[in-house]
Amino acid sequence: MFKPILAPIALVVGTLALAGNAHADYPERNIQATIQWGAGGATDNVARSLTPHVEDILDTTLVLTNRPGGTGVIGMNHVMRQRPDGYNLLYGAENPQLYPLMGLADFTYDDMHAVNIIGQGLVVIAAPAESPFDSFAELLEHAQENPGELRMGGTGAGGLPSTVLAMINAVDELDVRNVTFGGDGPGITAMLGGHIDFMPLSLAAAGEQIRGGEMKGLAVVSAEELDSLQGVPPITEALPDIESFLPWGPFWGVFVHQDTPDEAKKTLTAAYEEAVANEDFQEFLQNFGAEALNLTGEEAEQYLDNWQSVTAWSMYEADADILESTPEELGIPRP
Amino acid sequence: MSDTFSYFLMAWLDPQLLLLTAVGTLAGIYVGAIPGLSVTMAVSILISFTFSWDINNALALMVGIYVGGVYGGSRTAILLNIPGAPSAVTTAFDGYPLAQRGEAGRAIGLSTVMSVIGGLLGTLVLAGTAPYLADMALEFAPRDYFLIAVLGLLLVSTLSGKSLARGIFSVALGGIIGLVGMDTVTAQPRLTLGSMELLGGIHYVVVMIGLFGAAEAFYQLHNLNQVPIKQKVDKIIPPFKMVLKYLPLSMRTSIIGVVVGALPGTGGDIASLFAYDHAKRTVKNPSSPFGEGAYEGLVAPETANNAAVGGAYVPMLTLGMPGDAVTAVIIGALVIHGLNPGPMLMIETPHIFWFTVGNLALANLFLLLFGLTGIRVFSKVVEVPKALMIPLILVLCVVGTYSINSNMMEVYWMLGFGIFGYWLKVFGFQMGPIILGVILGPLLDETYRQAMSSVGDDAGQFLLALLANPLSLVLTLVIVLVLLSQTPLKPWVRRRLSRQ
Repeated sequence: MFKPILAPIALVVGTLALAGNAHADYPERNIQATIQWGAGGATDNVARSLTPHVEDILDTTLVLTNRPGGTGVIGMNHVMRQRPDGYNLLYGAENPQLYPLMGLADFTYDDMHAVNIIGQGLVVIAAPAESPFDSFAELLEHAQENPGELRMGGTGAGGLPSTVLAMINAVDELDVRNVTFGGDGPGITAMLGGHIDFMPLSLAAAGEQIRGGEMKGLAVVSAEELDSLQGVPPITEALPDIESFLPWGPFWGVFVHQDTPDEAKKTLTAAYEEAVANEDFQEFLQNFGAEALNLTGEEAEQYLDNWQSVTAWSMYEADADILESTPEELGIPRP
Repeated sequence: MSDTFSYFLMAWLDPQLLLLTAVGTLAGIYVGAIPGLSVTMAVSILISFTFSWDINNALALMVGIYVGGVYGGSRTAILLNIPGAPSAVTTAFDGYPLAQRGEAGRAIGLSTVMSVIGGLLGTLVLAGTAPYLADMALEFAPRDYFLIAVLGLLLVSTLSGKSLARGIFSVALGGIIGLVGMDTVTAQPRLTLGSMELLGGIHYVVVMIGLFGAAEAFYQLHNLNQVPIKQKVDKIIPPFKMVLKYLPLSMRTSIIGVVVGALPGTGGDIASLFAYDHAKRTVKNPSSPFGEGAYEGLVAPETANNAAVGGAYVPMLTLGMPGDAVTAVIIGALVIHGLNPGPMLMIETPHIFWFTVGNLALANLFLLLFGLTGIRVFSKVVEVPKALMIPLILVLCVVGTYSINSNMMEVYWMLGFGIFGYWLKVFGFQMGPIILGVILGPLLDETYRQAMSSVGDDAGQFLLALLANPLSLVLTLVIVLVLLSQTPLKPWVRRRLSRQ
């Protein structure tokens, strides 16, 4: 609780120190790290379990602040407006890659420098334990005979469930009632009470419920069965054509301002590469239902571009009406 | 059985856990007392801080902060008319008039004892009925949350003071403030005037600090030179007879608190509003009229918001689903420590449940100890000259607002609401209904749309569902009953009948 108050003081002291010794090695003071989602969410959990390892390597303190709101627009906008000196980091999720498409903001991760793409969440389509469907194929068949009857839990336009639905609709037809919740948590609660029929969820949020028998997995959004969720078939079994979009999942990354000095970028890149590779953190990611990526430099840029093109075009092909601009207008190449 | 007992006593017997619970509770009281510093924030900072600790130690500290923090909100509500947290808004209604009568010490003493009673009852319900209560909470469909929100709107009659028309205006205004931001379904900007900063909406704690904190400070300028009221500090601990007298009321409001707290969509803030309303409706002869320093007006919200803590742990421990924002962060802490919060939590790590229950009980005892010591010093806050107190309050408001999201924009909003709230006060408006609107507006919006899309946007199906489901039917009947008994409809119907 003292950190928000101490942070500005530390900043002033730090700036004074910098003025006195301009050639000192980076980092020589606390680093401000902004999390673009709220406390207790997936991005927050990843950031808070990775940061202590980074602190050890850099031998400095990272002051973590949650700045949620507007699917992350506010947190990202804040970091982009800070001085590009390497002392302001952003812990972000996949959302900014869709901002221009949704008309939320005119920037994406192209406007920042990717330090590390930490990992990718796995996605499972889940149904209540007492659901009459045992696989996604059965659900799809029922939905096609009774269009607009099944209730799907969603998290609003641009959220993970709506993107998965878009991919399905890009290769097949699934007409459902979209019931919107504030996040995975409220959606799962509604599913446990039988108030929705299915919901695409991150494995991080749904894994424990499936393992405990409270929900069942109909399909994993992947081309193969997952080690961490044995017995749940891949979605390609019901929809082989969807493979062109895979692998796909929400991701988490660390970013800095584009104009950050090269020295700072290099130090951060090395530190994060080592921290993500840390055994404890790898174990955390695995328990969390995520896949480690640890991508830097060119590889990270490529990953970001590919993710954007796959997601944007599948959304466009499924339902162009909900988008503010077409991917073509924004110069996003077809996958 | 012996396992259960030894898990329960874990925190009581281990000196380290005992100390951490105590430190957490004490720190929580201060976190809770400062508007803007919230338990959610303190607990999420603790996650990084306790990263390398043993999980039990981290949990003990968090439980302490949680219990202390929920109670702490009442301190500033009573002393300064500034609730430290949204769940203490109703505590100020009668707590502040008591302080103005020189009874700040008595008010704090009573609210401490009542908080502990509420907290212990909440823990007892958690221990005894967690699996059943969790199953019941899951039964609540979106339409039932919608009905609860509608029922909440009817609280306006309790919160409006003298003019119901002004109250209804204020609720509507609050509702509109609550709707600012990104549309939850379509992701379209709503009432943001093209500003990116407003995409995240206006945080309701910002509105609360502005309307209750800054506006109150500005309003106090009117009587800058008034001689402060001398506080009586001799009878702080409420006599046993008094506690016994309020025991039936506190039982009822604790039940309200624990049930509302266990519902994943609602928490201590809504619980304390319902509890205050319940007290006002059922207590025929309060110690003073409600709103002018009734002890009953303190008992109800203080028992309810502390009982809600036990309630919030119900879905968390049984299902791995958060009951409120704080338990959501605690679930995050469990994940980071390598535990698997979910339906298997109680099977794979059986100690967590009874350890938490024992820890909650322990934290409540520490609360009694810390809450009742130092009241004499605290009561003197009311005696500080206004010329010193008002600038200090404003500084607290700014620091508290900034610390919510570290966003300077929200500080400006807070000051804006402070000035606006000052004028509202001058013209006899109450602040309570505005906060009610800000809390309920988004809940109404979200749950109504969920309920409608669940039935394929068919209004007929929606109304049918209200009658076909037993839970919804009960809630609908309660709403109809409240409407009939609280509005001029009843005398009107009676007149028509007698005329015939």
